[in-house]
Amino acid sequence: MGREVSESCIDSLLTEMVSTYCNRFYANKPELAARRIEAIGYQVGHQLSERYTMERPRFSDHLEAIKFICKDFWSELFKKQIDNLKTNHRGTFVLQDNHFRWLTRMSIDQSPENGASEEPSIMADNKAVQSMHLYFPCGIIRGALSNLGIPCAVSADISNLPACSFVVRIKA
Amino acid sequence: MIVCVAVVGHQNNPLYIQSFTDADDALKLHHIVHCSLDVVDERVNNPKKSGPTLNETFLGLLYPTENYKVYGYLTNTKVKFILVTTDLDVRDADVRNFFRRFHAAYVDAVSNPFHVPGKKITSRTFAERVSTIVKSFGLSSAG
Repeated sequence: MGREVSESCIDSLLTEMVSTYCNRFYANKPELAARRIEAIGYQVGHQLSERYTMERPRFSDHLEAIKFICKDFWSELFKKQIDNLKTNHRGTFVLQDNHFRWLTRMSIDQSPENGASEEPSIMADNKAVQSMHLYFPCGIIRGALSNLGIPCAVSADISNLPACSFVVRIKA
Repeated sequence: MIVCVAVVGHQNNPLYIQSFTDADDALKLHHIVHCSLDVVDERVNNPKKSGPTLNETFLGLLYPTENYKVYGYLTNTKVKFILVTTDLDVRDADVRNFFRRFHAAYVDAVSNPFHVPGKKITSRTFAERVSTIVKSFGLSSAG
Protein backbone atom coordinates (compact mmCIF):
# COMPACT_ATOMS: atom_id res chain seq x y z
CA MET A 1 0.00 0.00 0.00
CA GLY A 2 2.72 2.48 0.86
CA ARG A 3 4.92 4.43 -1.44
CA GLU A 4 8.60 3.85 -0.95
CA VAL A 5 11.45 6.22 -0.38
CA SER A 6 15.09 5.53 -1.16
CA GLU A 7 17.31 4.95 1.81
CA SER A 8 19.66 7.77 0.92
CA CYS A 9 16.77 10.16 1.54
CA ILE A 10 16.45 8.86 5.07
CA ASP A 11 20.20 9.15 5.60
CA SER A 12 20.21 12.72 4.33
CA LEU A 13 17.17 13.64 6.40
CA LEU A 14 18.69 12.29 9.59
CA THR A 15 22.04 13.92 8.97
CA GLU A 16 20.37 17.22 8.22
CA MET A 17 18.13 16.97 11.27
CA VAL A 18 21.06 16.44 13.61
CA SER A 19 23.08 19.16 11.94
CA THR A 20 20.21 21.67 12.02
CA TYR A 21 19.35 21.07 15.63
CA CYS A 22 22.97 21.19 16.73
CA ASN A 23 24.20 24.07 14.66
CA ARG A 24 21.19 26.27 14.02
CA PHE A 25 18.37 25.78 16.49
CA TYR A 26 20.29 25.16 19.67
CA ALA A 27 23.70 26.31 18.55
CA ASN A 28 25.46 26.43 21.89
CA LYS A 29 23.21 24.15 23.89
CA PRO A 30 24.00 20.58 22.92
CA GLU A 31 21.95 19.15 25.78
CA LEU A 32 18.80 20.87 24.56
CA ALA A 33 19.46 19.78 20.99
CA ALA A 34 19.98 16.23 22.19
CA ARG A 35 16.71 16.31 24.15
CA ARG A 36 14.76 17.62 21.16
CA ILE A 37 16.19 15.01 18.82
CA GLU A 38 15.43 12.31 21.35
CA ALA A 39 11.87 13.60 21.69
CA ILE A 40 11.38 13.37 17.93
CA GLY A 41 12.65 9.80 18.11
CA TYR A 42 10.24 9.12 20.97
CA GLN A 43 7.21 10.08 18.91
CA VAL A 44 8.44 8.11 15.89
CA GLY A 45 9.07 5.04 18.04
CA HIS A 46 5.65 5.41 19.63
CA GLN A 47 3.90 5.39 16.27
CA LEU A 48 6.10 2.69 14.73
CA SER A 49 5.50 0.31 17.62
CA GLU A 50 1.77 0.76 17.08
CA ARG A 51 2.19 -0.34 13.48
CA TYR A 52 4.63 -3.20 13.94
CA THR A 53 2.78 -4.88 16.79
CA MET A 54 -0.42 -5.01 14.79
CA GLU A 55 -0.66 -8.67 13.92
CA ARG A 56 1.07 -10.06 16.98
CA PRO A 57 -0.33 -11.52 20.16
CA ARG A 58 0.31 -9.56 23.31
CA PHE A 59 3.60 -9.77 25.17
CA SER A 60 3.61 -11.56 28.48
CA ASP A 61 6.60 -9.87 30.07
CA HIS A 62 9.37 -7.33 29.61
CA LEU A 63 11.76 -9.82 28.08
CA GLU A 64 9.31 -10.64 25.30
CA ALA A 65 8.92 -6.98 24.49
CA ILE A 66 12.69 -6.47 24.39
CA LYS A 67 13.05 -9.50 22.16
CA PHE A 68 10.42 -8.05 19.87
CA ILE A 69 12.49 -4.86 19.66
CA CYS A 70 15.62 -6.87 18.92
CA LYS A 71 14.10 -9.02 16.22
CA ASP A 72 10.99 -7.79 14.44
CA PHE A 73 11.22 -4.10 15.17
CA TRP A 74 14.91 -3.88 14.29
CA SER A 75 14.39 -5.89 11.08
CA GLU A 76 11.61 -3.57 9.98
CA LEU A 77 13.76 -0.52 10.61
CA PHE A 78 17.24 -1.68 9.69
CA LYS A 79 16.72 -4.91 7.72
CA LYS A 80 18.68 -6.90 10.28
CA GLN A 81 18.30 -8.05 13.84
CA ILE A 82 20.20 -7.04 16.92
CA ASP A 83 23.34 -9.14 17.07
CA ASN A 84 23.70 -9.51 20.79
CA LEU A 85 21.38 -9.05 23.74
CA LYS A 86 22.69 -9.01 27.28
CA THR A 87 20.82 -8.51 30.51
CA ASN A 88 21.58 -8.40 34.18
CA HIS A 89 18.11 -9.73 34.95
CA ARG A 90 17.50 -6.68 37.06
CA GLY A 91 16.00 -4.39 34.47
CA THR A 92 19.04 -3.47 32.39
CA PHE A 93 19.42 -4.71 28.81
CA VAL A 94 22.26 -4.09 26.39
CA LEU A 95 21.35 -4.35 22.71
CA GLN A 96 24.40 -4.59 20.52
CA ASP A 97 24.31 -4.00 16.80
CA ASN A 98 27.60 -4.84 15.13
CA HIS A 99 26.99 -2.76 12.06
CA PHE A 100 24.50 -0.03 12.83
CA ARG A 101 22.96 1.03 9.56
CA TRP A 102 22.67 4.73 10.24
CA LEU A 103 26.33 5.00 11.17
CA THR A 104 27.73 3.19 8.15
CA ARG A 105 28.10 6.42 6.22
CA MET A 106 29.93 8.11 9.03
CA SER A 107 33.70 8.26 8.74
CA ILE A 108 35.80 6.98 11.56
CA ASP A 109 38.55 9.49 11.32
CA GLN A 110 41.43 7.70 12.93
CA SER A 111 44.52 9.22 11.38
CA PRO A 112 44.98 12.94 10.69
CA GLU A 113 46.68 14.15 7.54
CA ASN A 114 49.98 15.30 8.88
CA GLY A 115 50.74 12.06 10.65
CA ALA A 116 51.02 13.57 14.10
CA SER A 117 49.07 11.92 16.88
CA GLU A 118 45.52 13.12 16.99
CA GLU A 119 44.71 15.78 19.53
CA PRO A 120 42.38 14.66 22.27
CA SER A 121 40.09 17.62 21.66
CA ILE A 122 39.52 16.65 18.04
CA MET A 123 38.77 13.11 19.07
CA ALA A 124 36.36 14.36 21.70
CA ASP A 125 34.60 16.50 19.10
CA ASN A 126 34.24 13.54 16.77
CA LYS A 127 32.77 11.48 19.55
CA ALA A 128 30.35 14.26 20.45
CA VAL A 129 29.11 14.55 16.88
CA GLN A 130 28.75 10.81 16.54
CA SER A 131 26.84 10.55 19.78
CA MET A 132 24.44 13.28 18.61
CA HIS A 133 23.41 11.02 15.77
CA LEU A 134 22.51 8.30 18.21
CA TYR A 135 19.94 10.25 20.19
CA PHE A 136 17.34 9.65 17.51
CA PRO A 137 17.53 5.83 17.59
CA CYS A 138 17.65 5.96 21.39
CA GLY A 139 14.43 7.94 21.28
CA ILE A 140 12.88 5.44 18.89
CA ILE A 141 13.63 2.56 21.27
CA ARG A 142 12.34 4.52 24.26
CA GLY A 143 9.14 5.48 22.42
CA ALA A 144 8.48 1.94 21.28
CA LEU A 145 8.99 0.47 24.74
CA SER A 146 6.88 3.16 26.41
CA ASN A 147 4.02 2.39 24.08
CA LEU A 148 4.30 -1.26 25.07
CA GLY A 149 3.92 -0.21 28.68
CA ILE A 150 7.59 -0.28 29.71
CA PRO A 151 8.93 3.09 30.86
CA CYS A 152 12.68 3.14 30.46
CA ALA A 153 15.77 5.19 29.76
CA VAL A 154 17.91 4.44 26.72
CA SER A 155 21.48 5.50 26.10
CA ALA A 156 23.97 4.62 23.41
CA ASP A 157 27.54 3.51 23.63
CA ILE A 158 29.88 3.91 20.68
CA SER A 159 33.19 2.83 22.01
CA ASN A 160 33.93 0.75 18.95
CA LEU A 161 32.40 1.81 15.67
CA PRO A 162 30.67 0.60 13.50
CA ALA A 163 29.27 -1.53 16.30
CA CYS A 164 27.11 0.30 18.74
CA SER A 165 25.28 -0.71 21.88
CA PHE A 166 22.04 0.61 23.27
CA VAL A 167 21.62 0.34 27.02
CA VAL A 168 18.01 0.10 28.14
CA ARG A 169 17.30 0.67 31.82
CA ILE A 170 13.76 -0.17 32.80
CA LYS A 171 12.33 2.11 35.44
CA ALA A 172 11.13 0.05 38.35
CA MET B 1 -26.11 -4.23 12.73
CA ILE B 2 -23.33 -2.43 14.46
CA VAL B 3 -24.60 0.35 16.66
CA CYS B 4 -21.41 1.63 18.17
CA VAL B 5 -17.63 1.36 17.93
CA ALA B 6 -15.18 2.83 20.38
CA VAL B 7 -11.44 3.21 20.80
CA VAL B 8 -10.26 3.54 24.38
CA GLY B 9 -6.70 4.39 25.34
CA HIS B 10 -4.54 2.63 27.84
CA GLN B 11 -5.61 4.89 30.66
CA ASN B 12 -9.23 4.15 29.82
CA ASN B 13 -9.56 7.54 28.18
CA PRO B 14 -11.88 7.60 25.16
CA LEU B 15 -10.11 8.25 21.89
CA TYR B 16 -12.96 7.70 19.49
CA ILE B 17 -16.64 6.88 20.01
CA GLN B 18 -19.05 6.68 17.12
CA SER B 19 -22.61 5.42 17.15
CA PHE B 20 -24.26 4.38 13.93
CA THR B 21 -27.89 4.49 14.82
CA ASP B 22 -30.31 7.30 15.58
CA ALA B 23 -32.78 5.03 17.22
CA ASP B 24 -30.98 4.48 20.47
CA ASP B 25 -29.72 6.89 22.99
CA ALA B 26 -26.08 7.68 22.35
CA LEU B 27 -25.51 8.09 26.06
CA LYS B 28 -26.73 4.58 26.74
CA LEU B 29 -24.27 3.25 24.21
CA HIS B 30 -21.46 5.20 25.79
CA HIS B 31 -22.45 3.72 29.12
CA ILE B 32 -22.36 0.21 27.70
CA VAL B 33 -18.88 0.86 26.32
CA HIS B 34 -17.76 2.18 29.68
CA CYS B 35 -19.03 -0.87 31.53
CA SER B 36 -17.34 -3.19 29.09
CA LEU B 37 -13.96 -1.71 30.04
CA ASP B 38 -14.25 -3.42 33.41
CA VAL B 39 -14.81 -6.74 31.69
CA VAL B 40 -11.73 -6.17 29.55
CA ASP B 41 -9.62 -5.47 32.61
CA GLU B 42 -10.96 -8.55 34.32
CA ARG B 43 -10.18 -10.74 31.33
CA VAL B 44 -6.66 -9.44 31.11
CA ASN B 45 -5.79 -9.61 34.77
CA ASN B 46 -7.27 -13.01 35.52
CA PRO B 47 -5.16 -15.58 33.75
CA LYS B 48 -7.04 -18.53 35.22
CA LYS B 49 -10.38 -17.42 33.86
CA SER B 50 -9.22 -16.53 30.37
CA GLY B 51 -7.45 -19.81 29.82
CA PRO B 52 -5.48 -20.40 26.64
CA THR B 53 -6.35 -17.10 25.02
CA LEU B 54 -4.40 -15.00 27.49
CA ASN B 55 -2.20 -13.24 25.01
CA GLU B 56 -4.54 -12.97 22.09
CA THR B 57 -5.59 -9.59 20.90
CA PHE B 58 -9.19 -10.59 20.19
CA LEU B 59 -11.06 -10.94 23.47
CA GLY B 60 -14.31 -12.21 22.06
CA LEU B 61 -17.79 -11.62 23.41
CA LEU B 62 -17.41 -9.56 26.54
CA TYR B 63 -20.95 -9.68 27.78
CA PRO B 64 -24.46 -9.70 26.34
CA THR B 65 -27.02 -7.16 27.52
CA GLU B 66 -30.72 -7.25 26.79
CA ASN B 67 -30.45 -6.06 23.19
CA TYR B 68 -26.77 -5.90 22.43
CA LYS B 69 -23.64 -7.95 22.19
CA VAL B 70 -20.33 -6.35 23.09
CA TYR B 71 -17.05 -7.54 21.62
CA GLY B 72 -13.61 -6.48 22.73
CA TYR B 73 -10.11 -6.35 21.26
CA LEU B 74 -6.95 -5.34 23.07
CA THR B 75 -3.81 -4.32 21.22
CA ASN B 76 -0.23 -4.70 22.33
CA THR B 77 -0.15 -1.06 23.23
CA LYS B 78 -3.06 -1.50 25.65
CA VAL B 79 -5.52 0.27 23.37
CA LYS B 80 -8.99 -1.26 23.50
CA PHE B 81 -11.47 -1.50 20.67
CA ILE B 82 -15.10 -2.04 21.67
CA LEU B 83 -17.81 -3.11 19.27
CA VAL B 84 -21.51 -3.03 20.16
CA THR B 85 -23.86 -4.83 17.83
CA THR B 86 -27.52 -5.80 17.76
CA ASP B 87 -27.06 -8.83 15.54
CA LEU B 88 -28.27 -12.05 17.05
CA ASP B 89 -26.13 -14.39 14.98
CA VAL B 90 -22.69 -12.97 14.56
CA ARG B 91 -19.92 -15.17 13.26
CA ASP B 92 -16.64 -15.08 15.13
CA ALA B 93 -14.70 -14.80 11.90
CA ASP B 94 -16.64 -11.71 10.88
CA VAL B 95 -15.89 -9.95 14.13
CA ARG B 96 -12.21 -10.85 13.93
CA ASN B 97 -12.09 -9.58 10.39
CA PHE B 98 -13.79 -6.38 11.46
CA PHE B 99 -11.27 -5.79 14.23
CA ARG B 100 -8.37 -6.49 11.92
CA ARG B 101 -9.50 -3.83 9.47
CA PHE B 102 -10.36 -1.48 12.30
CA HIS B 103 -6.88 -1.94 13.77
CA ALA B 104 -5.32 -1.10 10.42
CA ALA B 105 -7.37 2.08 10.18
CA TYR B 106 -6.45 2.98 13.75
CA VAL B 107 -2.73 2.48 13.10
CA ASP B 108 -2.91 4.71 10.06
CA ALA B 109 -4.74 7.39 12.02
CA VAL B 110 -2.22 7.30 14.87
CA SER B 111 0.74 7.46 12.48
CA ASN B 112 -0.37 10.92 11.51
CA PRO B 113 2.42 13.22 12.77
CA PHE B 114 -0.15 15.81 13.77
CA HIS B 115 -2.00 13.41 15.99
CA VAL B 116 -1.18 13.83 19.66
CA PRO B 117 -1.08 10.47 21.43
CA GLY B 118 -3.70 10.39 24.14
CA LYS B 119 -5.94 12.94 22.52
CA LYS B 120 -9.08 12.14 20.56
CA ILE B 121 -8.74 11.03 16.97
CA THR B 122 -10.10 13.83 14.84
CA SER B 123 -9.16 12.55 11.42
CA ARG B 124 -11.98 12.64 8.91
CA THR B 125 -10.28 9.93 6.87
CA PHE B 126 -10.37 7.64 9.87
CA ALA B 127 -14.07 8.33 10.40
CA GLU B 128 -14.81 7.55 6.76
CA ARG B 129 -12.79 4.35 6.82
CA VAL B 130 -14.55 3.25 9.97
CA SER B 131 -17.98 3.85 8.50
CA THR B 132 -16.96 1.90 5.39
CA ILE B 133 -15.82 -1.02 7.52
CA VAL B 134 -19.00 -0.87 9.59
CA LYS B 135 -21.20 -0.90 6.49
CA SER B 136 -19.39 -3.85 4.97
CA PHE B 137 -19.66 -5.77 8.24
CA GLY B 138 -23.41 -5.70 7.93
CA LEU B 139 -23.30 -6.93 4.33
CA SER B 140 -20.91 -9.82 4.84
CA SER B 141 -22.81 -11.33 7.75
CA ALA B 142 -26.17 -11.00 6.04
CA GLY B 143 -25.36 -13.70 3.49
